Amino acid sequence: MGFHIVKRDNCPLWQKCCLYIGAVLLAVVIGGIVLLSIGVNPIKYYTRMFTMGMIGNRIAHVTFMNYLKKLVPLVITSIALSLAFKMRFWNIGGEGQFIMGAIASGFVALKWGNVLPMWLSLIIMCVAAMLAAGLYGLIAAWFKVRFSTNETLMTLMLNYIALHFLMFLSERKEDWNFFLDETSARPKFASFSQFVKMPTIKIGAKFELNICVIIAVLVGVLVFLYLKYTKQGYEISVIGDSVGTASYAGMNVKRIILRTVFLSAALIGLAAACRVGTAGILSTSITEDVGWTGIIVAWLAKLNTGIIFLASALICVLQQGSEVAASSFSQVSSSFANMLQGLILFLVLAADFFTRFRIARAKKGEKNNG
Amino acid sequence: MKKFLALFLALILASVSLLSFAGCQPNEEGEGESNFKVGAIYINSKNDTAGYTFAHHNGITTAMKQLGLNPDTQLFIVDEVPEDKEQVLAAIDTLVGNGVNIIFGISFGYIDAMEEAAGKYPDVIFSHATGYKSNETNFNNYFGRAYQARYLAGIAAGLKSLETGNNNVGYVAAYATEYAETASGINGFALGVQAVNPDAVLYVKSLSAWADEVNEKAYANELIASFNCGIISQHCDSAQPQIAAEAANVFGCGYNSDMTADAPKAHLTAAIWHWDVYYKTAMQAAMDCEKAADFVTKMGGQAYYGGLKEEFVDVSPLNSTCAANTDKAIAAVRELIVSGEWDVFSGVKLSISADGTVTKSDAALVDNKGNEIVAAGGASVADGVITGTMNYFVKGITWVNDPNGSTTPDTDPDTSADASEEVSE
Repeated sequence: MGFHIVKRDNCPLWQKCCLYIGAVLLAVVIGGIVLLSIGVNPIKYYTRMFTMGMIGNRIAHVTFMNYLKKLVPLVITSIALSLAFKMRFWNIGGEGQFIMGAIASGFVALKWGNVLPMWLSLIIMCVAAMLAAGLYGLIAAWFKVRFSTNETLMTLMLNYIALHFLMFLSERKEDWNFFLDETSARPKFASFSQFVKMPTIKIGAKFELNICVIIAVLVGVLVFLYLKYTKQGYEISVIGDSVGTASYAGMNVKRIILRTVFLSAALIGLAAACRVGTAGILSTSITEDVGWTGIIVAWLAKLNTGIIFLASALICVLQQGSEVAASSFSQVSSSFANMLQGLILFLVLAADFFTRFRIARAKKGEKNNG
Repeated sequence: MKKFLALFLALILASVSLLSFAGCQPNEEGEGESNFKVGAIYINSKNDTAGYTFAHHNGITTAMKQLGLNPDTQLFIVDEVPEDKEQVLAAIDTLVGNGVNIIFGISFGYIDAMEEAAGKYPDVIFSHATGYKSNETNFNNYFGRAYQARYLAGIAAGLKSLETGNNNVGYVAAYATEYAETASGINGFALGVQAVNPDAVLYVKSLSAWADEVNEKAYANELIASFNCGIISQHCDSAQPQIAAEAANVFGCGYNSDMTADAPKAHLTAAIWHWDVYYKTAMQAAMDCEKAADFVTKMGGQAYYGGLKEEFVDVSPLNSTCAANTDKAIAAVRELIVSGEWDVFSGVKLSISADGTVTKSDAALVDNKGNEIVAAGGASVADGVITGTMNYFVKGITWVNDPNGSTTPDTDPDTSADASEEVSE
């Protein structure tokens, strides 16, 4: 008597949905048990968390605006990463590419923000960020196609080079370092001119929609169309399935890899430009870890552009919500969100397993071929 | 895709309706002490058990209890907030959404966000540690005269150096002259040592990080082994330098908390903070204010800079390892500082003999490149210099890993001459 794992081919959509939703719920329940164990009422906590404390809050509209500010870079980064992942190019370097994009747009904003008209400096910021991030991503891609290096390691290491470059800029008080605030005796980043600020569209009396939200939706639609309906998008999926097939079909695999990685990294640069253009200042934690979280989101969404919006919306609710909830529960730290996020990822991956396999009871005498 | 779009739209609609609903909620927060709410933004976790965030959290909760406030229900904290303007602003929004009356931000890099938020929320009080920005109504900054406590710790170290006959004192510092906070602390300590032992020399090795436990230990060991230091002082988060001193059978002065338990044979005394002193003052002032805009007036200024007098800074109880008469000498100098008769960075020097008697004499304050900072008999340097632009070391200090070269600046008086201008700023 025993169990064995059997491959299943056709898992109906409703079952898949149930499995995934069940996984998320299970994560929430496990989180609730943890909360109970430290003496916190999980229902109260989760209510505050999932509403992000907006009920009965006189500045609920600000909470929602902050939520969108968090969401935009994550969505764009996740979509960008999914492009490279589709090709089975493991771009773990989102953080580094984001930072390079942020530095480039900070450079533009601080150098020319005062002289150029706002729309022009914002556009140059976006372009500069995309170029800087794209070229930074290209380093790993070039080494991969030229010397078959491992892009996972390479992009990972490049993250730290970028981060420490940014930290260097943040600490080095010298005449050449225009990134720093001249008026502060202690080194700190300079604020951009007031003319460098992503514009917002006023909706209703208080709510302001940041233009970056529209950019994020546009990026989502364009990438979806690109992957689904263009020749280049098709090439990406062929390479993802089999490099051999792609070569045999006469595709220039090296070129496609370089092009796609550049595009992926450039989009991450755009996310950085949105973040920096909204904040109006650099910081050493400008990425808010979207380069890492984006990987989780892309996988949770199974690289599906549409689902990425949903998954990142959920992850952002977790992050923002747990900050709000933790603020009023003295026992719980804001890191609770990280734990919950990890749990969800684990359980969704487990659910994923059950959409493709099932566990069957091995019958006596039956040949065990699972 | 259609399904997804529908879902997304539904999500937006749901959120918007939630918003409009939430917007209609009346603000039912009453006024008065029972409804007084405190907000705080921390750089590390509120559950820390040591270090900078712990010291502040401890200070805030202690002060609240003293004032009859309940930290469990009246304190709102957003912790692990990095020095990123957007994230700090979001944390402030969260706290304001909770209806707090006053917000404390404990890390320097919160400065721009707190300034902006003070304008955005005029009905909330903002108070920023270690910063230099403020306004005339609802935004102040606060810091303490740690250099006074350091001077007292320096006396303990100086007396010990006389006893052991080793004039070399080591100092593991987060930063050196890059930050006035570290430079003023190192200078204060050095002057305390020299008041007792004029032949003492101080070797500073800087970490270029506020916390780096590995190098905190390694640098202490290097100062002991290569520079023959008999006493190790520190400006860094962990007790590693004291533990290194203990292992090497030398002595040491800690920082932030009493480190005697970490190094019972080595530790003399530590320069410590009583953050609760400020937090109590500030919360009391905030509760007494009729409106948030009165806060700065109530506090008597835009910058709170308390010292030994306010008991904001102090030295920890003297360990039994201290040389004879340490308590007597420290008590005498404390009296001079608390009464306002004398302060550390002035043109008057204290000489403390081995039996603990203190005598005053006029002497110029000179930096380690030979520039005169304060003329003999002159008044103390301005507070703004001590907190902002003190980017020099006094005579007798050697910065051993100075990136700008020379490790013996004492004998090299013409390398830089800009330090003397600082007094006028």
